[in-house]
Amino acid sequence: MTALGSVLDIFKYRRKETFLHSLDPRSKFLLLVVLSVASLALNDVFSLLLLLTIEIVLLAISKSLNEWIRSLRGLAMLLLMIFILNFLTLPSGRLFTSITMVLRFVCLTSAFSIFFLTTTADELANALEVSGVPREYSMMFTMSLRFVPSLAKDLQTVIDALRSRGLELEGGRIKERIKNYTHLLVPLIVYELRRSLMVAEALEARGFGAVKKVKPYVELRLRRRDYSIIFISLAGLFMLLWFILSGRYAMFTSAVRYLFPEF
Amino acid sequence: MYLVDLRDIYFKYLGDEDYALKGVTLTARPGEFILLAGPSGCGKSTLLRVLNGLVPHFYEGEFKGEAYVAGLDVRSTPTYALAKHVGMVFQDPENQLFLSSVEREIAFSLENLGLSRNEIKKRVNEVLEIFGLEHIRHRAPYELSGGQQQKVALATVMALEPQILALDEPTANLDPLSALEVLTLVHGLVKKKGILAIVVEHRLEIALRFATRMLVMNKGHIVADGKPEAILPQVRHLIGYPPVVIAHLLLSRKGLAGDGIPLTPEDLAAKIIEVVKWRR
Ligand SMILES: Nc1ncnc2c1ncn2[C@@H]1O[C@H](COP(=O)(O)OP(=O)(O)OP(=O)(O)O)[C@@H](O)[C@H]1O
Ligand SMILES: [Mg+2]
Repeated sequence: MTALGSVLDIFKYRRKETFLHSLDPRSKFLLLVVLSVASLALNDVFSLLLLLTIEIVLLAISKSLNEWIRSLRGLAMLLLMIFILNFLTLPSGRLFTSITMVLRFVCLTSAFSIFFLTTTADELANALEVSGVPREYSMMFTMSLRFVPSLAKDLQTVIDALRSRGLELEGGRIKERIKNYTHLLVPLIVYELRRSLMVAEALEARGFGAVKKVKPYVELRLRRRDYSIIFISLAGLFMLLWFILSGRYAMFTSAVRYLFPEF
Repeated sequence: MYLVDLRDIYFKYLGDEDYALKGVTLTARPGEFILLAGPSGCGKSTLLRVLNGLVPHFYEGEFKGEAYVAGLDVRSTPTYALAKHVGMVFQDPENQLFLSSVEREIAFSLENLGLSRNEIKKRVNEVLEIFGLEHIRHRAPYELSGGQQQKVALATVMALEPQILALDEPTANLDPLSALEVLTLVHGLVKKKGILAIVVEHRLEIALRFATRMLVMNKGHIVADGKPEAILPQVRHLIGYPPVVIAHLLLSRKGLAGDGIPLTPEDLAAKIIEVVKWRR
């Protein structure tokens, strides 16, 4: 539970005063898309290392390096697995490819973590609304993020209640276990239904649904810093595409393979 | 003109055997602080839900009787329209606060009404000031203490400038001091703005001092209605006595305190001083 918790920490918003935190969610989203495309498109150790360096710089700018390092430690087992599985199953060029896979995974997670560490759920919802998504749906989105910790807490409550009545969830044979988990599921669903009723009540009591078109309190505005990030992201994307489409990237990777044949 | 005018209300939740409200008649005016008490399951929450139309619009069931709130017919007015007139706060802050900062939380209610951005900003600032929340306006609600969270919940509905506040066990999750603070705040709003507050509270020792009127329910009926001092003895079997009344009972039996029911420790002290002075 705690290991999973620390991994999820990599995506949990922290309020801080930094350049990235102050950006419009839409420009950060573009940055996320470009970084993700790059993580997936690149497939050699050197360019992925370069990408990771850029991401680390971004994480440093958003003062989130500590959270990132802590979560990577939580992910260590998974990374090791990715490495070992690749290493054992690949026919040739095993070391570099395995490292590439691990690096790609780290780059992709980091891209998402840069976004989610610096963007709140309601900023996101706000961005969705501005883009024309109806308020009901953007609210659904906010809520589903907002109530993840509550769900985790409720799950623990139900587990504790079952334990105190002598039901052990771990151990036993598979069939036994599956049966035990249904004992867990039923009260949990009842619990969450009750909670959702209370939430819906509170929403109604605050006038939710009174008008269709609302004016969001926080006005999303693209400022100069947003335009600079958008420009840099797009420039990066075009450079990447040009590099790949012109065949230069293929030349580069084969050169790497030629230089380090034994890996 | 009554702010709340309920006439012979019956309500049965869909799928329930028995009525949750059985012939409830109630009128209330601005400036009242009504304490609503009664054993668990007697229908207190259901009664509050009638005030903002959650019953019968959100909770379906069999509804009989006439209900007018702020001059609107509850049966034909949707909850979001009643929300402007009735501010409802519930027991658990966790299920009432959704957003990432106190300020946005308050703005959310106002956004729902479709107000202009300037009007929203103005009201948010006003409410933050009234509730003393300016210093935490950028904090996330889930980082706050329970007492602060309930204050925020109160602020979110007060931003709609309702004439009625309906609070369903607003202090159930709070320590006594925070509970006192929240209710003091409500009391202040009743005094200053002349709104009507209807508060469900189990902790009589904290709430009684504010109540101008007390309602006691049992099994869907209102069984007592009046000044707390007057009706407490009638309903002792249902809701018990708060500690200060018990202490007074013991003291007055020994002739150490004056007559009448004290609602606060200060009242009790005064009654003791009264007797002691006289003895000298
Ligand atoms: N959503 C619901 N669906 C069906 N029945 C309900 C629902 N809510 C309440 N009831 C029933 O209506 C009756 C009155 O409940 P209500 O919640 O109003 O009592 P209460 O006085 O608020 O109790 P408590 O002090 O425990 O909060 C109870 O018998 C209860 O079982
Ligand atoms: Mg109740």
